[in-house]
Amino acid sequence: TRGEQERLLLNSTTLYVGNLSFYTTEEQIYELFAKCGDVKRVVMGLDKYKKTPCGFCFVEYYQRADAEACMRYINGTRLDDRIIRTDWDAGFVEGRQYGRG
Amino acid sequence: KRRRVSENQEIEDRLESLILRVGEKSTSSLESNLEGLSSVLEADLGSFRGKILRILTDCAMKMPEKCTIYTTLVGLLNAKNYNFGGEFVEYMVRNFKEALKGCKWNAARYSLRFLADLVNCHVISAASLLQLLDNMVDAAKEDGVPQVRKDWYVYAVLSTLPWVGRELYEKKEQALEHLLVSIEVFLGKRHKKHHAALRVWTSDTPHPQEEYLDCLWAQIRKLRQDNWAEKHIPRPYLAFDSILCEALQHNLPTILPPPHHASYQYPMPSVVFRMFDYTDCPEGPILPGAHSIERFLIEEHLHQIVEMHQLERKDCAAHLLNFPYKEKIPLDYSIVEIIFAELFHMPNPRLLEIVYGSILIELCRLQPSTMPQVLAQATEILFLRIDTMNTTCFDRFVNWFSYHLSNFQFRWSWDDWESCLQLDPEHPKPKFVREVLLKCLRLSYHQRVKDMMPESYEPLIPVKPEPQYKYTAEGAGSLPGTAAAHQLVVSIRQKCTPEEVLNVLKDLPNPSTDDDDADSRCNPLKIDVFVQTLLNLGAKSFSHSFAAISKFHYVFKILAESEEAQICILRNMFELWQTHQQMMCVLVDKMLKTQIVECSAVANWIFSKEMTGEFTKLYLWEILHLTIRKMNKHVSRLTRELADASERIRRAESDSDESDDDADGSNNNSRKGDDREKPSEEMVVRMEERLETAQADQKTLFLIIFQRFIMILSEHLVRSDTDGKDFNTHWYKWTIGRLQQVFLAHHEQVQKYSSTLETLLFTQDLDPHILDVFHQFTSLRA
Repeated sequence: TRGEQERLLLNSTTLYVGNLSFYTTEEQIYELFAKCGDVKRVVMGLDKYKKTPCGFCFVEYYQRADAEACMRYINGTRLDDRIIRTDWDAGFVEGRQYGRG
Repeated sequence: KRRRVSENQEIEDRLESLILRVGEKSTSSLESNLEGLSSVLEADLGSFRGKILRILTDCAMKMPEKCTIYTTLVGLLNAKNYNFGGEFVEYMVRNFKEALKGCKWNAARYSLRFLADLVNCHVISAASLLQLLDNMVDAAKEDGVPQVRKDWYVYAVLSTLPWVGRELYEKKEQALEHLLVSIEVFLGKRHKKHHAALRVWTSDTPHPQEEYLDCLWAQIRKLRQDNWAEKHIPRPYLAFDSILCEALQHNLPTILPPPHHASYQYPMPSVVFRMFDYTDCPEGPILPGAHSIERFLIEEHLHQIVEMHQLERKDCAAHLLNFPYKEKIPLDYSIVEIIFAELFHMPNPRLLEIVYGSILIELCRLQPSTMPQVLAQATEILFLRIDTMNTTCFDRFVNWFSYHLSNFQFRWSWDDWESCLQLDPEHPKPKFVREVLLKCLRLSYHQRVKDMMPESYEPLIPVKPEPQYKYTAEGAGSLPGTAAAHQLVVSIRQKCTPEEVLNVLKDLPNPSTDDDDADSRCNPLKIDVFVQTLLNLGAKSFSHSFAAISKFHYVFKILAESEEAQICILRNMFELWQTHQQMMCVLVDKMLKTQIVECSAVANWIFSKEMTGEFTKLYLWEILHLTIRKMNKHVSRLTRELADASERIRRAESDSDESDDDADGSNNNSRKGDDREKPSEEMVVRMEERLETAQADQKTLFLIIFQRFIMILSEHLVRSDTDGKDFNTHWYKWTIGRLQQVFLAHHEQVQKYSSTLETLLFTQDLDPHILDVFHQFTSLRA
């Protein structure tokens, strides 16, 4: 439900990261996002058919505060020459890493 | 009745917004706005007295930059309504006292400043303010209290004087002189051992790195020489002199600083960061000199803007650029200087490092015609002075610069720095470039780094990060583990179980011992084959590596019970991944988290012989600090959990005391909204034990680290002495800098073990160079 979704977002430690270059690697994402705190995991978004990176990923932190810092200081800055966007995400679920092909 | 409530609410909201916004851009003058607002407020005093008091004091504390606007407003109200003036003073005094008791040092300083400025508005008598300032300086004469407490009281008084010095000088010259003499005496007796540890540069050329109280004192002395005339603070009350001088004044009650308590935490001393003077700025307004009070006021104001808008980097940049007196100063330079001052603040910056980086990016975006040049000039200056920069700041400079470059297409005029290529590779300049390139590599990719650099920089360009897997390299056939390694690759690819891995490794002999009993504790060959093969199979990405580690966690645990074996794991990780520093950082992090290796093993590995060649590289210290932080977090978590459990027991007990006749205890609990069960005594005892163990581990970790530092540094000093060579080499400077960094970066945790360290390690017979670092550290909270 909508209320449920909002509650999840308010406590989430996961961010959706968009507008990545297709060539940006998990390593680069770790390096940048760790500047806001300890990163629990990075899940790369993959093309549904080719299983290659397709411009987005999920970054999960251990702490909510670190994810908040990320929204404040990384959102809208550059990685691999592209302005990346971060958004709150309700939490990664297996399968969601596959983008539209 | 409803309607009345909402009507009142509306008026209150309107009053609040009027008060909050006074002094902002408006079509009419500030004076007429203040005059109008004071009339409105006076008319509403009857029904909204409490609310108005609250809003005004709130504004005084939360918008210290508008201090003189609000004091003028209070002055006008006092002239109209003497009783209200008195109530306001009372309210403000209470705020001040509460801030002191609550150790809210900035809030206390802002309320003191406000009270002082009320003297200028004829609300408070000069004599009673002087009495308060005297009492505060008396607090600096107490015996048996920490120096940092005395420091704060003196700092609070000194930093108030720019506002009220002139008035006190005119009305109470002698008493003011007396106050200043007391301060001078105090400052003369002060210990400043901490100064060396907090400086950004060891050198005082071109700009002295002054201790903050000494600097402020010099600025105040200069202000006194100038007859207390300063040019920065707007003073709207001057326009209302004729009204205000008619008003009756209140006397402050006697205010005594609350006595020191062991739980009080005072601000740590600091060093005033200066990187520019007027010769650095092109024509235009002149940068005030280091000892002019305007420099202090501007810096304080800019720091406050950063503090206030830290959560919104774009607003923060906009507010900084909109500084009210921007025509009178070279604003870009002042902004860049205070942002680097915060970034380089020792022991730790008050905000995340990336906050400053992201604000600088926004400043460049908002002011593209000037800001990038000023920032480039600043970088140039920092690079020029890097020889004497402390190691911690060196790291922060590397991290910021690489991050900044990655946000601006990695464009930089590297040719200008080409002369650094002639220097010893351990010299801070080439070292800086190399470390920056390594960080750029992490944020981009190898080809990009190669492409962005002039050819001459070839020797500083990192090699491509790739695993070096010896079991498929040329000549692998002669290695004792090759056959097993190949078998292991096949088995893992076929998704074998951890037990099967152990089976493959089973027959590998132990090369290091001939006794059979040592075999079970550490078999270097088994570890070698397993670790290098597994990590090489997971080499594709961090995720692959992590998955491989977690899948064969059991094998790690079986092979690496002893510390020796854990160090062996780290050594093999290094052998495979030595060109990929970031990989090594995250792998160590992962292995600590999954308890494959212990913190002490990582520390011993870092100081081991095999790592000598890596010893001055930044990443190795990144690993050490992440290891220490892991340990610190663990201790903090257990401490918190224990405190939480004890608190719950205490609450549950006082609950049942209060309601002895209430038979149903659980009902009681749920009423309090605490649905967690009350922990049993036994649980608490277990938690205490766990915490004790963790603290013992933490202490051991620090002891290991400091002992290893002492060993290598002493060895170096003795060897230099016997060889008749200068001890002060690049290696020595890096190493002593790293020792300093461990003390400062983790000072809160290390502090707990100060006396143990003093009795066990930092003893009087130690070389004074090493001992000094320890004494600088202990004087931080002295």
